[in-house]
Amino acid sequence: MITIIKMENLNKIFNENKANQFHALKDINLHIKKNEVILLKGVSGSGKSTLLSILASFMKPTNGLVEVNGEFVAKLPDKHISEFRLNNIGFIFQSFNLFEQLTVEQNIMTSLIPKEYTQDICDKKIDDVLKLINISHKKGQTVSNLSGGEKQRVAIARALVNEPDIILCDEPTAALDYDNSLIFIDIIKQLQDLGKTIVIATHDTIFNDADMNCRVIDIKNGMI
Amino acid sequence: MNNFTFLNFVLLQLYTNKTKHFSIFLISTILIMVLSSFLFITNSISKDMKTIVNNQADFILQTIIAGKVVDTPQDLVDEIISINGVTKVAQRVYGKHFYEPAEHYFTIVGIDLYDKQIVTNLKKFMDKIDIDKFLSKQNMLIGSGVKKFLDEYAYFDYYIFRPPDKSMEKVYIYDTLPNQTDIASSDMIIMDINLAKTILGIDEDHCSDILFNVPNIDERETIKNKIRARNFDIRIIAKEDLLRGYDGFLNYRSSIFMILYLIVIITFILIIYQRYSYINSVDKKEIGVLRSLGWSINRVIKLKIVENLIIFISSYILGVNLAYIFVFIFDAPLLSSVFLGFSNLSNNTSFIPAVDIASLVLIFLFFIVPIIASILIPVWKISITEPTEAMR
Repeated sequence: MITIIKMENLNKIFNENKANQFHALKDINLHIKKNEVILLKGVSGSGKSTLLSILASFMKPTNGLVEVNGEFVAKLPDKHISEFRLNNIGFIFQSFNLFEQLTVEQNIMTSLIPKEYTQDICDKKIDDVLKLINISHKKGQTVSNLSGGEKQRVAIARALVNEPDIILCDEPTAALDYDNSLIFIDIIKQLQDLGKTIVIATHDTIFNDADMNCRVIDIKNGMI
Repeated sequence: MNNFTFLNFVLLQLYTNKTKHFSIFLISTILIMVLSSFLFITNSISKDMKTIVNNQADFILQTIIAGKVVDTPQDLVDEIISINGVTKVAQRVYGKHFYEPAEHYFTIVGIDLYDKQIVTNLKKFMDKIDIDKFLSKQNMLIGSGVKKFLDEYAYFDYYIFRPPDKSMEKVYIYDTLPNQTDIASSDMIIMDINLAKTILGIDEDHCSDILFNVPNIDERETIKNKIRARNFDIRIIAKEDLLRGYDGFLNYRSSIFMILYLIVIITFILIIYQRYSYINSVDKKEIGVLRSLGWSINRVIKLKIVENLIIFISSYILGVNLAYIFVFIFDAPLLSSVFLGFSNLSNNTSFIPAVDIASLVLIFLFFIVPIIASILIPVWKISITEPTEAMR
């Protein structure tokens, strides 16, 4: 199986050389294979979100190597980082980060705009992803009127619409009730069947009982 | 490149945040309207002044004794006309009349109605007058400002002047001068030259000044010097000097207005800059989310440029159009007095439409460009921060 994510001797230090310096990630070495589901488990402040942010190229590591889908993301200039993110990464946030005043369709469209597709292609892609996530009936609804579970599904649809190989989820069930968390786990399984590589940062115990084909990695004080 | 979805998103953003953008749109429209009105008024006055001065004779000759302007002997007319190259020499009679009830001065202008009028804009109006009927009794033409004050004190048909010799001259109101010449004529009274001399106490063989033309521009300086050499107690004012005088006056008022206006604009720009510098968490998060979805810094900046260009270009178009209506249809109430207060009577001026494209470009450059810059600098700063930081 191909290694899609490679992290070697990765360190992240916040406020380096200042009084409030914080070593968030310490010598991380991690290889993730294509189509793997990784459960990154740890308590709050253990470094899970920082690790995901570096993988998503939201932030650069202080030192070390990060190779995602063949790209050394820490060294890419902004234009290429944005393109890389657009084509390779789908990110699902804990608080969804949707545009509350826009409709489901318009929210998903925000991911497609940089691709500069024609309206017809956009419409088709949106319809397909809404069908996949089973939320087509909410297409025209304003996000602020949706339930937490529905918002989560819209966030997933937005992350998937550009068909990225890698899905990163940061505490995806933290804002969901039990039933919606189970629905989310089902969606993850579905995505794994589609060949996606998924990294989930969580401290939710619901994943312990989930019948998932995944690798669990514990992270503590910035170390795995 | 397919810009449709992008533009659609920009419009969507504008619509969903309409309350946030409306106040900026409103203030911007008002500022552009005031600035445009100011430029429209100065353009219009400048154009009007140039028309008036261009219609004047090439030279005005006045007599100066002991540094004061005094009446000019009429026989100078013959002397000047005898100089080769001089055409259209005419005497002019004018002076001030103090209208006691309202404590205002009116300008009396006496003209020889059978003579070809040297002032062409007056000529156009005077050509419509039935001279025989006008001269059949003591008649006068009055400016709109004069009419307003005479009406206030029930002088609807005539007014009685008290010349310096203590006599009484009853003069009938023949007609009111048209509004478009108002800048010069609001306080003006036009009457027969001899009647004007009586009312103003000017001797029969004198006049206020003499007008003359020199068609050959190259000859003007020579002729001016020739007349000066023969008469030491005179002053000759060229048309160009008058134009410079008007321009200087207008520039003085424009400068004061511009300084005040610039203070307002700079304050507005600072407010906008401040607003975007301390951009609220919702705006900041929005930029962070877009960046996390794969929007490049350039695309985020483009979004904000287009968003703000739509706001400011619409406010520019609206502001300029409102200014046009305000100035040229409603005659710029309040603002006109800033520029037209130089007459001792208020001018009920109808501004002649004069739109200078360069002025409109100037407004665009001096207003919209700095504002867009003041927005983009903070937006750029947020765009280059890490998405996670911006979304916090």
